[in-house]
Amino acid sequence: MNLALPIGFKTLMRREVLRYVRRPRNTFLPPLITNVLYFSVFGVILGNRVGEIQGVSYILFLLPGLVVLGAISNSFENSSFSIFHGRWNEYIQATTTSPISHTQMVLAYVLSSAFRGVLIGILIALVGAVFTPVTVRHPFYLVAFMAVITTLFAGLGVIGGLWARDFDYLTVMNQFILRPLVFFGGVFYSLEILPPLWTYVSLLNPMVYMVNGVRYGFLGAETVDVGPNAALVVLSTAAVAVVVFDIFLFRRGYGLTE
Amino acid sequence: MTAIETRDLRKSYGNLQALKGVSLEVEEGEFFGLLGPNGAGKTTFISILVGLVRKTGGEARVFGHDVEDDYREARDAIGLAPQEFNVDRFFPIREVLVHKAGYHGVPKDVAEERADEALRTVGIYDKRDTRFHWLSGGMKRRFMLARAMVTDPDLLILDEPTAGVDVQLRHDLWNIITRMNEEGTTVLLTTHYIEEAERLCDRVAILDEGEVVEVSSPDELMGRGKDTVRVSLAEPLDAVPASLDGDYETRVEDGELVVETRNAGGTLAEVMRALDDEGREVVDVEMSRTSLEEIFVDMTRNHDDVTRTPEGET
Repeated sequence: MNLALPIGFKTLMRREVLRYVRRPRNTFLPPLITNVLYFSVFGVILGNRVGEIQGVSYILFLLPGLVVLGAISNSFENSSFSIFHGRWNEYIQATTTSPISHTQMVLAYVLSSAFRGVLIGILIALVGAVFTPVTVRHPFYLVAFMAVITTLFAGLGVIGGLWARDFDYLTVMNQFILRPLVFFGGVFYSLEILPPLWTYVSLLNPMVYMVNGVRYGFLGAETVDVGPNAALVVLSTAAVAVVVFDIFLFRRGYGLTE
Repeated sequence: MTAIETRDLRKSYGNLQALKGVSLEVEEGEFFGLLGPNGAGKTTFISILVGLVRKTGGEARVFGHDVEDDYREARDAIGLAPQEFNVDRFFPIREVLVHKAGYHGVPKDVAEERADEALRTVGIYDKRDTRFHWLSGGMKRRFMLARAMVTDPDLLILDEPTAGVDVQLRHDLWNIITRMNEEGTTVLLTTHYIEEAERLCDRVAILDEGEVVEVSSPDELMGRGKDTVRVSLAEPLDAVPASLDGDYETRVEDGELVVETRNAGGTLAEVMRALDDEGREVVDVEMSRTSLEEIFVDMTRNHDDVTRTPEGET
């Protein structure tokens, strides 16, 4: 009996990571180019006119938001695409008919996707460093927020990958749900410039707290008056809840069995 | 030990009952065939064993492990070659095999050795760095078998493994599967090819409309068939000679005497004597045995007659 638990998990994890690492033109190059454009246009060209926000240059203010945008988009996209593509072509059956436990399967998909998000985040920060000196004021919070938000969105991507019935579903989730939330989550502007009503509305957007937390990690400044610890606890709880729900879906065979 | 044990196994898709209470036992080391027409429930049956389909009722065990409660142990014992090609398109085939073995807990270095061995066994080692979709149809079929065997399974499940392959490849695959069975692997084979079941299987179950019609050895099934003796005479017959009244059925077709019997040797001598006594000159005799295919068609047709209501509902 071959039930050495970690080997199955590690193999699936390796497979998932290799899938995107070996295709940099599809996985790393697009965010690289996009963020060079963001930093060039918004950071340099427009940023010089905007001046400072919360005591830092606009391009430096922008950087944490772009890191969050790239990290969570890629985490979500990776797990949702990997699972849906495997379902669409049915090769996910090689995994689901194996003795890997449901929990280990979910953790392999989630952690490998979160890792991609973190890699993309680092890549964007490095691109930003070409345009402006980057500081990390609170490394612990930066690492913690990045780990939690990429895990959260990788977990949501698992749900999306299981739910999708066509590739259109993935596009809809990414373009019409994820992106608007991120764009209105304070990536490109400070909530302080909004009218009071829209500031309150914005506070209902969970992305605000993610951007806020990562910005706190980089710059030491917060956009909204929510302590990083409270935000971290809430986001960690959400991430755990989503992953537990992923495991429940795998156990039920949702989207995987007839 | 029992390799597969199902009791009253049921599966419904809405109003459609794909399995209507299938009870089967396959012994360890056995080469067992599942025969049945399209839609009989063969693929549903094996999909329940590997966890691709959730049963609606009944029990299913693989080497004593419940396929849902002890799914990890049950799945670890199984190597599956499905009918449809469902292979990871992102990686070369050798790596796909290494991953599959890894999912079953095989360490990477051992998995690599097993992958090479499996590819050599099925004869596509030189294609090891090629991705699946670049393989020819025959090579794809070979690969499916390699993937099923790379985990060194105790139970090999093959769903139509030779569907659409040429004669040479079919024989190659038969040889590989037979060798694995001789080395102790239990094999569950679903097939449309009666010849395949006849050549390979120790026992077969005939499945029709989600029910087991028969479980038997191919030889036993063949024993249920009849021999047909066709006798041509110098002068065509109008009617069956009155002297032929043994334990066999006779009729006249196109002036020839046709005799259906379970014992062609004894019956033929008797028939020849009777015809000789009547002064008839025999010019040719043909004997044929009912094929397993005919028996199979007959059994499933009879089953349909029994289970279908006049409206065609079961």
